[in-house]
Amino acid sequence: MNTLKFATIQDIKKLLDTKEVSVEQVLDFYLDRFAQIDPNIQSALEIFDKDSILKTYKNSGILAGIPGIIKDNICQENRIASCASKILANYRSPYDATVIDRLKQEGALLIGRANMDEFAMGSSTETSAYFKTCNPWDTSRVPGGSSGGSAAAVAAGLVPWALGSDTGGSVRQPAGFCNLVGLKPTYGSVSRYGLIAYASSLDQIGVFSKTVYDSALVFSVIAGRDEKDSSTLDLQSYDYTKKLTGKLPEGLCIGVVENALQAPELDSQVKTVVEQAIVALEKAGAKIKRIQLPALDYAAATYFILSRAEAASNLARFDGVRYGYRASDISSLEDMYTKTRHDGFGREVQVRMMVGNYVLSSGHAGKYYNNAKNVQRLIRHQFNEAFADVDMLLMPTQACPAFKFGAYDDNKLQMDLQDYFTAGVNLAGVPGVSIPCGFSDDGLPIGFQLIGPHLSEERLLQVGHAYQQITDWHTKNPTV
Amino acid sequence: MDKITKDEVLKIALCTKLTIEHDEIDGIVKQLQDVLAYAERVQDIAKDLDIPTNKNVNRQRQDKVISFDFQKILDQAPDEQDNYFVVPKIL
Repeated sequence: MNTLKFATIQDIKKLLDTKEVSVEQVLDFYLDRFAQIDPNIQSALEIFDKDSILKTYKNSGILAGIPGIIKDNICQENRIASCASKILANYRSPYDATVIDRLKQEGALLIGRANMDEFAMGSSTETSAYFKTCNPWDTSRVPGGSSGGSAAAVAAGLVPWALGSDTGGSVRQPAGFCNLVGLKPTYGSVSRYGLIAYASSLDQIGVFSKTVYDSALVFSVIAGRDEKDSSTLDLQSYDYTKKLTGKLPEGLCIGVVENALQAPELDSQVKTVVEQAIVALEKAGAKIKRIQLPALDYAAATYFILSRAEAASNLARFDGVRYGYRASDISSLEDMYTKTRHDGFGREVQVRMMVGNYVLSSGHAGKYYNNAKNVQRLIRHQFNEAFADVDMLLMPTQACPAFKFGAYDDNKLQMDLQDYFTAGVNLAGVPGVSIPCGFSDDGLPIGFQLIGPHLSEERLLQVGHAYQQITDWHTKNPTV
Repeated sequence: MDKITKDEVLKIALCTKLTIEHDEIDGIVKQLQDVLAYAERVQDIAKDLDIPTNKNVNRQRQDKVISFDFQKILDQAPDEQDNYFVVPKIL
């Protein structure tokens, strides 16, 4: 079964097609791998038993027989969906999210629930109420976040793909930290029905895989309009691998965001490695244009305000009445609400909800929330103006390589600033994909992101795939 | 930068329906202060912006009643009786 070690979806599909392996052998291989390796990585909150996985298995479709793991804020029928929070510790979803339904229809084997920052609030997966997940490249370091469990599982070769969610960078940043491709689709291209909301106007479900081709396969399955999510766009079912020829599109012009590369927040090794990726793309025939996106410097601040405001509203539903945790020893209804929410939510979630209510309060909304909505418009406008000039943008995904556990315990704001390079993409609602492009001197992965106009996923994937044909960073694996 | 006081934090906690323990207040004041001090930079460029609002268009659908096994929903409740959610006495 060594052929399955660190195999891609494409590899496994070939092995299944030629009957070199059976679906059951594939499933057994990955379940065994989880049992052996995950105690050291702790990527999964739960791995389901084999019989229950096979119970919903359909033996045909794009992902027939391909195992994957799902971030724990995406509802899977009859499975717990805890958002890595105590407040939903025993919440069992009575329905499938639309993405889960589509994955099952296409034969995917959904084998577990991936750890995450509580309610997707964090950049390191350290805010999980259960345990910390290790970066497979260096287990003294974080895998990034908030979708850190999903990223660590794919990086360690425990599954070939995973779903995460990206509100301010939560798929792309862990992908960068773990040497993976991380796709954050256009807002509205993937249904959020069944995704437990953090900031609804920014949340999008995204994909982790080792190759761009694999992300295109999974995206083909999950993308498309959905009656159950009123914000989905009118997208028909489409095969996003169709144009992955390995060649760059004719006359491609990439805009390098110069102020992102010059940002004081950027680690010098990340800068060097991303500059090398730019040279490689130029050599392959892309025209490179250096541009400025001045509003990007305000993206993190804007994101802090809007995401916390929406979170304060979205998380008001967790009140101990209809589902989830309820505090014991309560004397009144008010007491039940406040104790349940104090004991059920972790500190980071509590602070974010309070920031949200502060920026929405009558005395402060003008200064914070209303101004942030204006700046969001400016960010969108500057992205759109840039796309009139260039086909897509390129900038670093991450401020630095994966950091040590506890590195930001005394300075949470610095941790929040991990969103510096990614949050603008969510605010503009455009797609972005992070692609591995090298390593730091300590052997830690580094990624760059390609960002395109609304619904330009096919072109982004085309360029990302071509880049992976001329580089081999994505073929490197950690020793686990 | 406006300074956030402990009283303000307790007031926001009340709006957020959160109990705050005495030994948690200082840490929470600092975290709130740090984020808000950084976030207030949005004022610098938000003034005099003349960019039209880009309204998202929502998809509409028929308002159909879909039957659901309500026992499955009630099973999730911390406390239920006779098909109702039970909460502490209000009156």
